[in-house]
Parts: sequence; C-alpha cells; structure tokens
Amino acid sequence: MSLAEKYPKEVKQILAKYPPEHKRSAVMPLLYLAQREEGYITKAAMQDIARMLDISETDVASIVGFYTLYHDKKEGKYRMQVCTDLPCALRGADEFLDNLCANLGIKVGETTPDGVITLEAVMCLAACDKAPVFQTQGPDGIKYHENMTVDKTMELIEALRKSSA
Amino acid sequence: MAKQVTLTIDGKQVTVPEGTLVADAAKMAGIDIPVFCHHPKLEPVGMCRMCLVEIGRPVRDRATGQFVMENGAPKIQFMPKLETACTNKVEEGMVVLTRSQKAVEGQKGTIEFLLTSHPLDCPICDKGGECPLQNLTVAYGPGKSRFLYDEKMHLDKQVPLGELIWLDRERCIQCARCIRFQNEIAGDPVIGFDERGRATQIVSFSDPGFDSVFSGNTTDICPVGALTTSDFRFGARPWELQAHASICTQCPVGCNTTLNTRREAKSGGRIVVKRVMPRQNEDVNEIWICDKGRFAYHYTEGKQRLTRPMIRKDGKLTRASWDAATKLAAENFQKAKKNFVILASGRLSNEDLFNLKSLAEHADGKAYIYSHMGGGELTSLVGVGEGTNFGSMGAGTTIVVVASDLYEEAPVWYLRIKQAAARGANLIVMNARETKLDRYASFTVRYAYGDEVKAVSDLAKKGKIGDTFLKSENAVILYGSDGLGVSGSAALASACAKLLHDNGFTGRPNNGLIGVWGRANDQGAWEMGFEVEEDLAKAFKGKTVYIAGADPVADDPKLAKALEGAEFVAVQDVMTTATTEIADVVLPAQAFTEREGTLTSGERRVQRFYPAVPVTGEAKADFAITSQIARHMGIVLEGTSVSAVFDILAASVKSFEGLTYARLAEVRPQWPIVGRSDLYYGGTTYENTQGMGAQLSAAAGRGEKVSIPKVEKEALVRPKEKELLAVPVTKLYDRGTTILPSELLHERIGEAKVILHPETAKSLGVEEDQKVSVSFNGVNGEAAVKLTDTISVGVALIPRSMGLAIREPVAVKVK
Repeated sequence: MSLAEKYPKEVKQILAKYPPEHKRSAVMPLLYLAQREEGYITKAAMQDIARMLDISETDVASIVGFYTLYHDKKEGKYRMQVCTDLPCALRGADEFLDNLCANLGIKVGETTPDGVITLEAVMCLAACDKAPVFQTQGPDGIKYHENMTVDKTMELIEALRKSSA
Repeated sequence: MAKQVTLTIDGKQVTVPEGTLVADAAKMAGIDIPVFCHHPKLEPVGMCRMCLVEIGRPVRDRATGQFVMENGAPKIQFMPKLETACTNKVEEGMVVLTRSQKAVEGQKGTIEFLLTSHPLDCPICDKGGECPLQNLTVAYGPGKSRFLYDEKMHLDKQVPLGELIWLDRERCIQCARCIRFQNEIAGDPVIGFDERGRATQIVSFSDPGFDSVFSGNTTDICPVGALTTSDFRFGARPWELQAHASICTQCPVGCNTTLNTRREAKSGGRIVVKRVMPRQNEDVNEIWICDKGRFAYHYTEGKQRLTRPMIRKDGKLTRASWDAATKLAAENFQKAKKNFVILASGRLSNEDLFNLKSLAEHADGKAYIYSHMGGGELTSLVGVGEGTNFGSMGAGTTIVVVASDLYEEAPVWYLRIKQAAARGANLIVMNARETKLDRYASFTVRYAYGDEVKAVSDLAKKGKIGDTFLKSENAVILYGSDGLGVSGSAALASACAKLLHDNGFTGRPNNGLIGVWGRANDQGAWEMGFEVEEDLAKAFKGKTVYIAGADPVADDPKLAKALEGAEFVAVQDVMTTATTEIADVVLPAQAFTEREGTLTSGERRVQRFYPAVPVTGEAKADFAITSQIARHMGIVLEGTSVSAVFDILAASVKSFEGLTYARLAEVRPQWPIVGRSDLYYGGTTYENTQGMGAQLSAAAGRGEKVSIPKVEKEALVRPKEKELLAVPVTKLYDRGTTILPSELLHERIGEAKVILHPETAKSLGVEEDQKVSVSFNGVNGEAAVKLTDTISVGVALIPRSMGLAIREPVAVKVK
C-alpha cells in the first residue's frame, strides 16, 4: 500500500504546505510519516516518496542517509539515544551508558532480544547541564529524559516493555 | 559581449568577462590554481577547499562610492582569511595572490587533510599516471604528512554502482563532481551521497544501478581513482597508452573520440584498443560521450572479424585471393547490367559511399541506403549548414524535436538541446509518447501515432506555440522515426521541410532540418545521392546484390528469403554476419579503428577519423575493395588514397564543394582548456589536435531554388478487434551487430520487448515481464512485456533490432 493510500489526510496536508513547483521540499515530513509506524523507512516507501515528489530515489535515499534521525533498517521499537559528548561525559554519561549496557545485556548499537530497545550513543542533544541525558525515538515521537540514573531508566524501559507487549 | 572586468592575479593584469570565477580567470591567463571539486562545466560548490588563495579588493569610500587612493593607486584590502577561487567571481581591481606564503600553506594543508583518508595505492590504481590528486599532491602538497599511516580510514574498495561503473570508497575525496554532473549536465540524478562526515559515500539507488547513458563521463571528471569503468578497470596503465583521434560510429551525432591503444601479451602481442575516451569538440560533443560510444567498440576486435576473402564453392565458403574474389564479383556485377543493386549502410565512410555510388552509376545499377528512415534528400536541400552549432543556440532560437526520443537515439544531442533550452531557446517536443526531453520543453505537443504530418503542418497555426515558432529568429527541426517507417518518416520530413522553407528558416546558420538517423554516416549517404527503398525484398529478388556494411538477413526474415532468391550476393563487412553466411563472395573490410576516412554527422559536419590499430588479417578499406572490383569491370575509381577519393568527392558532390581533406584537420582554441597537462581542470578528456571538421553547405544556403515535394499522405494502419497498433521505436542499446559483441552491455540490452500501457496489458490479461507471442505481417516471435503509462492505450511499442523485425507501423496480435 502506498503512503498516500495509507495516510491520505496527512499526505495531503503535508503537500499543501509547499507550492507545487517546490513540492520536493515535502520530502522530510513525508519521510517522518513513512517512518512513524515501523520505526524505519522501507525501500518501497522511498520509491513511493520519490515518485510523489518527482525526484530520484537516490535523492530521497541521500536524505535518509544524511540525517541521523531517519533509519533505513528495522531495529528496536524505541531507540534510546544517549549523549556522550564531552560535557555529558564530565557528568558521568559514559559510566551511565556502560551500566545501562550491563543491565540490558546488550552493547551500544544493539537491540534487546524482545525488540523493544535499541541503544545508541549520539552527539550533542543540547542539554549538557541535565546530563546524563538521552532521548527516546519511537512511534510516539521523540522524548527527552534528563538527569537520568540507571534505576530510573530501567523503570522507564519496563514501562515501555509493558506498553509494547 | 559581456562586460569585461580587469583584475590582477599574481602580478599579471587579466581581463575577463564579468561573472567569471577567479579560478577560471586564472586559467585563462595561464595561471594554475589547483582544484578538485571545481570543474569549468559545473556550477561552483567550494567543497574541497583546494583552491584557497588570498583575495584583496579595492576599498570604496562609503559616501561617494569611489575607490580610496593610496600612493596613487587604489587601496587594496585583503580578507583576513583565505578564500576559495572557485566560488568568488572576479571584480574590477581585485588582486589575487595564488602563490603567497599564506596561500601555499592553505593549499598544503588541504592536501594533507585530503590524504588522511586516501589509501595512496597509486601503484595499483587505474588513475595513477593521469590522476589530479597524484599530480597536485606532488605540485602543491607538503611532501610529508603528520598523520599516522596506520590510522588511515579503510573502506570498501570494490563497490559496483551499476555493472558499468565501480566505486573505490577509500579513494573518493567527496568532491561531488560526479553527482553534480549527473544532476546538472546529464539530468539523471541517479547517484548521491549517503551518510555524512567521514562515512560519506557515493551510492546509487536506481534500477539498474547508475541508470544513465552518460555514466562513463563521471570517470573522466573524477579527480581520483574512485570511479572506474568495468571496461578499463585493471586494463592498462595510462602511460602505456597511445592516443589516436577518431569519431564515434554509433549514432549521427559524430562525437569526437580518442582511441587509447597498447601492444599487449594478453592479446597475443597485438596492438589493441583499451578504451574509448571523449575528445574535445565544443561544436559537437564538448567533452562528453555516451556509454554506447564508450563501450560498444569491442566488435572491431571480436572473434567474428572477417580476415580473408571467401568464395562459395560447392555450397561452402572457401578461402580465396583478393584477385579471385573481386574478379568473381566484377564478372557477376557486369553480367547483371540493370539488375545490379548496391545496398550500403551508414556505417561506411564518405569515401566508401562515394565509390559505391560511382560504381552503381557507371554500371547502371541502383544504390540504396540501408535505413529505416526516409526524407534524407531534403536535409541536403534545407538541412542545417555552415555555422550551425547547438552550443550557440539560446534565446531567439526555436528547436523542434518531432518523432524522436533523443535520449535513446542521439544522447549527446539530448544534452546539447537541454542546455540550449536552459540558455533560453524555445524547445518544442512533439511525440506520440512522453520522452525524457519533455522535462526541458517550453511546449510539448502530443499527437496520436499516424498524425505526425498533421501535427507538424498545423504547428504554425497552433496559437501560442505557433506564435513562438514564427517569431523566432532561428529555427531547427530534428525529425526522427519514432513510430514511423520509411514512407512515414519521408512524409514527416517533407512536412518539416515545408514548414521551415515557408517561414524562412533555411539557408542560414542555426536554421534547417536535421535527421535523427540510425547510423553514423547516413547523412553522408544522402549527400552522395543514395536512395532508400521501402520494399527491399522486392528490390533483391532475382537481382545481383552487393551489400556493404549491413546485415539484412539477421534483421528481417523476409529479406533473408528475398536474398535466397537473388541471382548473386556479394557481401562486404568487418565481421561474420548472417548475411555473409549466405553470400556467394565475402569481402573482409577494415574496421574504422584500422583506417582513415571521413564521416558526415547529422548536423552535416564532415569529420576525419584516423587509424589506431594495425589491420586485421587481409582486410581492406571499403573504398579500396570497391575500386578493385570496379577495375575488373573496366571502371576507374580511386582505390589507394582516402584523401584522393575525398578530393574527387569534393569536386563532384555540390554540398562538399570547397572542402579539403586538410581543412577538416584544422583546430581552433577551445574553452575550457583540457588536455594532458590540465587533467586536474577539465578531466581526462583528450584535447583536440587533429581536427574539428567542417560543415557542408545546403542548397538553400547556396541560394539555389528549393522546391519541397508535396507531402504524401500515409495510409493509416487500423488495427482490427483483438489487435493493437504496433510501432517501431529505437533504443540506445539493441542487438545490432556492432553492439552485441560488447558483452558488458548485455544486461542493458536485455531481451526482445513489447512495451504496453498497463491498461492495455490488463485488457489482454498479461503482466509485466510475462513472455508473450507477438505476430504481425507474417512475423512471429516471443517478447517480454514491459509496462509504462507514458504511452497511449492500445499501442504496442516494439524496439527495433531487438529480434522482432518491425519496419513500419502495423497491426499486431499479442497473446
């Protein structure tokens, strides 16, 4: 099923925001839409968007490749993105991440066996003063979690697991 | 003329047109500023930072706007940091320092940075020896790096972007020349960057990979060894190669090429062609060629090459001497008298065609051109002539393309017309289906197959489109054979010629008619007076036939049958074909790579090609074979010197009057500068030192009275129930005898196809890729269904030379 068939209202709304001669500008919101359900963008969806906007599939794929918040592979339902830049590291982000890994039994970049959490280390989330900090990227969008401890994080993960079950 | 701006570069006063970039202005003045991402044919991006220079600008008084003077000269203010010469435009009074200490340090630093993730595997790199990165590292680099070799980035070294082009990820310096070429020049944005930072890489998501007929050009402008062709990859080192000027023989554009050759053990000690490269001719192909021209040369060295003359004895072809073979042919030709028929193709040179035509005239025979298109005699009357150049067309010129898919039929014309449209030319694309050129058209006219003539005749009356056409200063019409046979295209040519003639668009540069022919020198054959015969089967029956450079037996079962019933068949070709198999005498001809001669392009430009490799076996040049046969018949035709044949030709064919063989070899200075010492700037395209050719005059240009024959109305094909209208179309890659021996193109050629609208397919109950049986006019064959919604319902497109012998529109049954 194509994106326009699946989400007719949203697609129409997104396209209406741009003048027809600049419709290629709708590529990013359409990619978010395509990513919403599965947590990643399928090749078919990229083809679909390329056709809709009259641009090449390679152009669409380049945008997916450039931006870190677009994904082209199926991973966990939630991506837990922990900032490990210098100011965060000074506030214990590395240690936090190591402990989290130990608790979850996975390495950075891996997904929990139940498919709920993928753990990632990322660059600046612009919240150094509230480190350790991470964001979750999931079906309900992106959410910030500040001043986190491992215990608090495990509670959050349990809640996410419950809601996913 | 654009406003001129004077600036000083390294102490030298330079005057260039306004808007010129500093890097280009320096090049014009003979000063090299190193560049990687900048290319004179592409828009500036400033990605690689190699061209860092110091730029100073005269200070202006804010109140008066006048230059502030200091010691009698304008005061110059330098920017605190280095700037890129490739993104800054020249300004009056600008001072540029390219070799100051600061600039040199900047350039050294950039090289040092670029090399931190470059493998430095020059000894095994295809580009080594003609590599801008290698050259500029030696000329501008620091000599030593402070980075640790062990900490270099290592990435995939063999990534196919498609089956024709390969990427070496760790050699890539992310200059984006290839991506920009595909976006800006080719108009096929099928490659792009994936990821970011150090992980950035070139990718292609198209199907097939790198789906563009211009892909090979990216390997020429790649400033490193990242992009290579599967043809030349690991083939040879550039310094082992000899360069020979040539002309591409695959289509009527006549792109200038260079054949790189070397003697090699791998080929049994023979000298062979290792690659085809573009050769600069800004009037024809600029510095580009299409992939067919680049890769479809392998037939010249294929196993199928004919090496010696043969005569049929007791039903079998057996080896014979040249004397015996030509004598046998001559005896039969003489005996035939009026029943002597010559069939020649546009693969032959002007000189070959001239001798063949002369033979036909002296022997009272017929001389036909093997073409699926008619109307060529009109291009001699009102064709484009001297001074015509797509590169000079812009605002005020109208270009009409009718019944042709230029991207598939003449790719470099597609590029040139796309650019003319961008410069402001009115582009009117008329076709029964959507073609790639539509995207750049000011107007598109859609007609039904069969209505071509009417559409052209009505063009001037068509409101805004008609006004645009009539009000133009100049107009050219390119007509083709999309959906047309011989008589259909001849009728279309008349309609186009009439439209041009009636409105004064003839006899001047950038005005006139251009035929989008099937072969490289069809135009030459028309100039020589060859005719096209619609019913070749009838023309062959019971006759004595002399076929040169054509393979009718493989192309059409009907012609095969007709030739069986011919009195005598002599076939002259470079390789074994289905037609040489049935011949009574076989005459081996030299390939264009082995000899010299001239070809006439569709723009009526006569250009010379030169010998590059030694002759195969006992093969002779076509004109020499014809001359030898003629001599046995008591007819004297020049047979030793090409230039002598050309002189006789120029003296007897009016449009060639005034041309000399030497004049064709003249060159003029061209921009951008390319060549072996400027690899970093223009790419590995060869400079033109052996001739840019010269254009023919048209009858209208010579002031002769021109009368256009009345347009013959074509009988429309009306498919019955359960039938479709099948029309022939031309695809770039087909199963032609000169393409098939290039195995690397087989994936692109594919299988016999019939192209349908999805709705047509639905009503027939067939699906994409399904094998169906196709029958029309006694032809039965199998083909795979391809679907596209860019054509009309009820029409079946059948590509020519793909296994189904379609010559004109017919009613077809698809099951």
